[in-house]
Amino acid sequence: MELRYYIIRRLLLLIPTILGLTVLTFLLMRAFPNYQLVQGYINPHSSIPVSVQMLNAEKALGLNYPPPVQYIYYLKDLFLGNWGQMSTTFYSGPVLRGIEYFFPNTVQLAIFSIILSIIIAIPLGTYIGARPNTAADQAGRVFSLAFYAMPTFWLALILQIILGQDVIYGNPFGIFPIQGSFQPTSINPLHPPSWLINTQLGTVLSSPTHLILIDALIHGDFAVASSAFMSLVLPVVTLTLTLLAGILRFVRAGMVDAASQEYVKTARSKGVPERLVIKRHIRKNALIPTVTVLGLLFASLLGGVVTIEYVFGYPGIGLFGLNAVLQNQIFGVMGTTLIFGLILVMANLIVDVVYALIDPRIRY
Amino acid sequence: MVLRKSMRTPDVVVKKRPRLEDTIYTAKLFFKNRLAFVGFVITMIYFAIAVIDEVYPQWLGVSNLNSMANWVPALSSNVPTAPTLSHGWMYIFGTTQFLVPIFPVMLAALKFDIGYSLLIVTIGALFGLAVGTIAGYFGKIFDEILMRVTDIFFSVPFIVLAFAISYALGRSLNTVIIALIIIWWPIYARLTRGLALSTRSMKYVEAATASGSSGMRNVVVHVIPNVLSPVFVQISLDLGSIVQIFATLYFLSVIQGSQLLPELGNMISRGQTYLPQGIWWPVVIPGIFLLIFTVSINLMGDGLRDVLDPKLRR
Amino acid sequence: MLVNEIDKTKITRDDYLVVQNLKTQFFTSKGIVKAIDSVSFSVKEGEVYGIVGESGCGKSVTATSIMDLVPDPPGRIIGGSIYIDGFDIISDTDKLVKITVKSETDVKIKRNKRLIKRHNYIISRIRGKKIAMIFQEPSLALNPVMTIGDQIIENILLHNMVSISESIIRRETIKDQDLDNFLSEASAIKNHSDLKRYVQRWARDFGMPDIEDSILNVLSSNAAKPFVRKELVELIIPQRKGVNINIFKETKDYHDDLNKLLDLNLKLLNSENKADTAGIARYEQEVKNLERQMRTKYLTFNLKRIILKKTYQRVFQEEARRRAIELLKLVNIAGPERVIDSYPHELSGGMQQRSMIAMALASDPRLLIADEPTTALDVTTQAQILDLIRELNKFTGSSVIFITHDLAVIAEMCNRVAVMYAGNIVEEASVDDIFTNSKHPYTTGLLKSIPRTDINVARNLRMESIPGNVPNLITPPTGCRFNPRCQHKMDVCEKSKPKLVDVGDGHKVACFLYSDLTDGDN
Ligand SMILES: Nc1ncnc2c1ncn2[C@@H]1O[C@H](COP(=O)(O)OP(=O)(O)O)[C@@H](O)[C@H]1O
Ligand code: SF4
Ligand SMILES: [Mg+2]
Repeated sequence: MELRYYIIRRLLLLIPTILGLTVLTFLLMRAFPNYQLVQGYINPHSSIPVSVQMLNAEKALGLNYPPPVQYIYYLKDLFLGNWGQMSTTFYSGPVLRGIEYFFPNTVQLAIFSIILSIIIAIPLGTYIGARPNTAADQAGRVFSLAFYAMPTFWLALILQIILGQDVIYGNPFGIFPIQGSFQPTSINPLHPPSWLINTQLGTVLSSPTHLILIDALIHGDFAVASSAFMSLVLPVVTLTLTLLAGILRFVRAGMVDAASQEYVKTARSKGVPERLVIKRHIRKNALIPTVTVLGLLFASLLGGVVTIEYVFGYPGIGLFGLNAVLQNQIFGVMGTTLIFGLILVMANLIVDVVYALIDPRIRY
Repeated sequence: MVLRKSMRTPDVVVKKRPRLEDTIYTAKLFFKNRLAFVGFVITMIYFAIAVIDEVYPQWLGVSNLNSMANWVPALSSNVPTAPTLSHGWMYIFGTTQFLVPIFPVMLAALKFDIGYSLLIVTIGALFGLAVGTIAGYFGKIFDEILMRVTDIFFSVPFIVLAFAISYALGRSLNTVIIALIIIWWPIYARLTRGLALSTRSMKYVEAATASGSSGMRNVVVHVIPNVLSPVFVQISLDLGSIVQIFATLYFLSVIQGSQLLPELGNMISRGQTYLPQGIWWPVVIPGIFLLIFTVSINLMGDGLRDVLDPKLRR
Repeated sequence: MLVNEIDKTKITRDDYLVVQNLKTQFFTSKGIVKAIDSVSFSVKEGEVYGIVGESGCGKSVTATSIMDLVPDPPGRIIGGSIYIDGFDIISDTDKLVKITVKSETDVKIKRNKRLIKRHNYIISRIRGKKIAMIFQEPSLALNPVMTIGDQIIENILLHNMVSISESIIRRETIKDQDLDNFLSEASAIKNHSDLKRYVQRWARDFGMPDIEDSILNVLSSNAAKPFVRKELVELIIPQRKGVNINIFKETKDYHDDLNKLLDLNLKLLNSENKADTAGIARYEQEVKNLERQMRTKYLTFNLKRIILKKTYQRVFQEEARRRAIELLKLVNIAGPERVIDSYPHELSGGMQQRSMIAMALASDPRLLIADEPTTALDVTTQAQILDLIRELNKFTGSSVIFITHDLAVIAEMCNRVAVMYAGNIVEEASVDDIFTNSKHPYTTGLLKSIPRTDINVARNLRMESIPGNVPNLITPPTGCRFNPRCQHKMDVCEKSKPKLVDVGDGHKVACFLYSDLTDGDN
């Protein structure tokens, strides 16, 4: 399979990018003095005295050596899963475990939004792109421009005002919760389900998937499941709207561009009915450039995730990272940057592979 | 009769229009696009307000725009919270935290939002332009390094990178601005690199090189003028994004130390606490004000791209 | 010299295409490009008609106007008639849009959406079926994300459903009688190549071209007749798919009716154009009747089609694929089984253009428009493609409009030639006349600029070309559009426009040197 070799080659090409990413995060950490770095290796609940822990940490980080050697130590730690400790009001403990806890929530949010926005954007973009400068097209353009230019946090707040529960008194549309990944009122306080773990920091974790919606369904607790679902609606809608606006712009532009190509004239000259000209000839070609910008859109989606998780108090990796920043947790920030970088790099890889699959002109 | 070779008909030679006439034509085309024109006008109004803020801050009723605290009314006065005109134009949109009137603060915010964003984009663009042109024109190792470095920048989402860098630098207003510049220049470096590469292979630049014109001279005479208009379009499109990111960073309280700066994201963040009381205007109104700006500047940028990109020009 | 006004060309029976006073303009932001300014000509059945002129003279716009493919916006056909097979396809131009010209750069175009929709529906059924077109740049004209096969098959399935259904039905219902007839007729043929042709035709009619060669082998094996018959039956049986043929019968009827509907619609359109109220009423009624009839008649068919979608479509796909391979063979593509599954970028320019031609031929059009089909190709390939087009013209008997800027090619290819300049036909004559007896100063100039090997090597070095350029068509020269470049310019040339007049033997010229000085438009 040629495609398999292409993927392997692309995977190999990832190595320098990922190494570059680690250099970046390493440099970020080196912006701080040693004593602050060492903090991130200290476990206050341990029986070992703090001064000993500090010395051990200095050794483990290789702080006595020149920076290039420190970098090697740093890489080694990353590989061994030793991403340091953090302590915030949101989460305390090893950074990597925190990522494991909160990452699934972010993935869930992103996947819902991506699927929804693609399902809506492609037919809609095809429709308006095939009728440039008509009323429908103008409306579509205004819509996508407005949501594209709208700050995500503001959109989130507006949706809270319009659709959020208990935001505006007596609002009949206000049926969706505005905070958290589920509502504590949906559990019986006398018999809390065993699969929900309270971390004492106001954050509730669920097992085994760390996704409350899925876990509740697994355990057959439909009250929690429906509460988790309702809590997902507003964050997903916000993210979908911003993403949709972006994709719509590109699908429309792609359609308009493809429609002016010579092969469309050929198709018409063959007598292909207009409906099929659009579907078979224009749209297929229009989606190719759209795929190439999906990587960029994904980056903006990840940016949006941070804001949305903050506004909705949704326990994902964005909120995790933001708390690390606001509460001065070096290793938390490092871990978040790295994980976001890795997601984006992988997303770009997937985009490239999809691109190679749908465009026969790409030789791999 | 035996006829062999093809007849070569001369291609229609388009006379090069003088520059001024070309500019006027471009402007005409631009203003013909109604949406772009509206975007341009509104953008210019916002810019004008920002300039007036700078030269004559007193028009907003205070002598110094740097802190929202300057608008806090004297305790005695009976200040409305909801939008009303009965207390003069400043209270037309009501008040926010500390009974600060929304409207004048919003206008004052333009000085900072637009001012800082312009600063960030301009420095980022200049630096990126320099690096990108050199990499694109001289190529080789320099180009390779540039591509790899920018790859790394593009491999982290902007907001997260902004967090990380501003955190490492200290989370003050100044360091956030520096962080945003650091994040923004690679876009321009990539853009100009591509343009410089294609300019280099153009016939007349090749001819200039062949006739002994030096590299640096070519860059200044041929490459830079060719990359300027796409860079300009990119700047106008980016200004909207930067304003958004800047406001977002304020909203998320990533920027420390100037929590009273009149800034739209900051204002919305402050207004947010009143939402549960049904007080929506401190959130909605500054947001709409910001949205009008980002939409307008995007309309303007799209219009500019349409007329400056020869491929799209009809 | 006898001068006949030929403004209104009489449509004779053997004219497949007649263009009268065609006017096409582009409404751009810089002004109105008067690209085609009253062009009239006709193309007879089976002839190769050349159009020649410098680039920018309006050759491509003429061709796209005939296909009604002028890009809109900015372009529109604003007047004239184009008769294809007797029907005027653009008779309703005035009704489709209202154009209000305030100034060169301020034009309001108001479109009647409903009529445009109907117009496009009708025209899309004429395109491809009655006229096909091949383009200058095959690499741009082929869809990059579809295989060559899919693009040809698309065309076949659009236009040939009736004949495909017929051959499927024949194949599935082949009877002893058919075989006996075939065998007896085949045995009567002695000449091998005749036999081959006969077998080919028979196999195609019965939808099994795959076993052509095997049938031929069996027939030429000189075995005893019963044995040959047994062998044949064994060859044929596996070809049959055992599908229910009712649905194919219905398919055939359905597409027959669709064609009838199109004819009626065309007639309706023509009556509307002539404001013939009786005709309008009659054809409107007939269209309505047929539509109503079809709705009830094909109710179950449409359901069946949806339910049996997979099997039903596969049979058609397979048959269309066979035909596509045949077409690729017809245009001399080596290894058609491989090429059919290739994407355009995997082929050379010549192969791409051959595929384009195969695609155009898929629907057996009676007119092929070739717009500079060889300009983008290298010299050897050019010659091959020209040979191919000429062969196909002889073989299929369809007409060709051959557009080029290369007079040498015209000499090789065409029966008659029109010389275009700045949106006008300035001279039209048989090829011999153009080369030996050219009249118009522009034609003479073009001829002089060809390097000629038969005259003088020294002349060859100093090739004369016409001074100046094709004018800007936003503000074209008044009067004769050639006047700024003409050596014989007279006063009248700037004031009025010469008409195309017949100077004998169908040789037509538009120049005041050959017509009455008063005989022009002011
Ligand atoms: N899409 C278009 N927009 C504006 N003008 C056009 C367009 N297409 C063709 N024209 C103009 O029509 C004239 C004839 O062009 P064309 O038919 O392509 O010439 P050619 O004889 O080389 O095929 C030219 O002056 C050209 O500028
Ligand atoms: S009409 Fe006049 S200008 Fe035109 S070709 Fe004839 S002589 Fe020349
Ligand atoms: Mg042409």
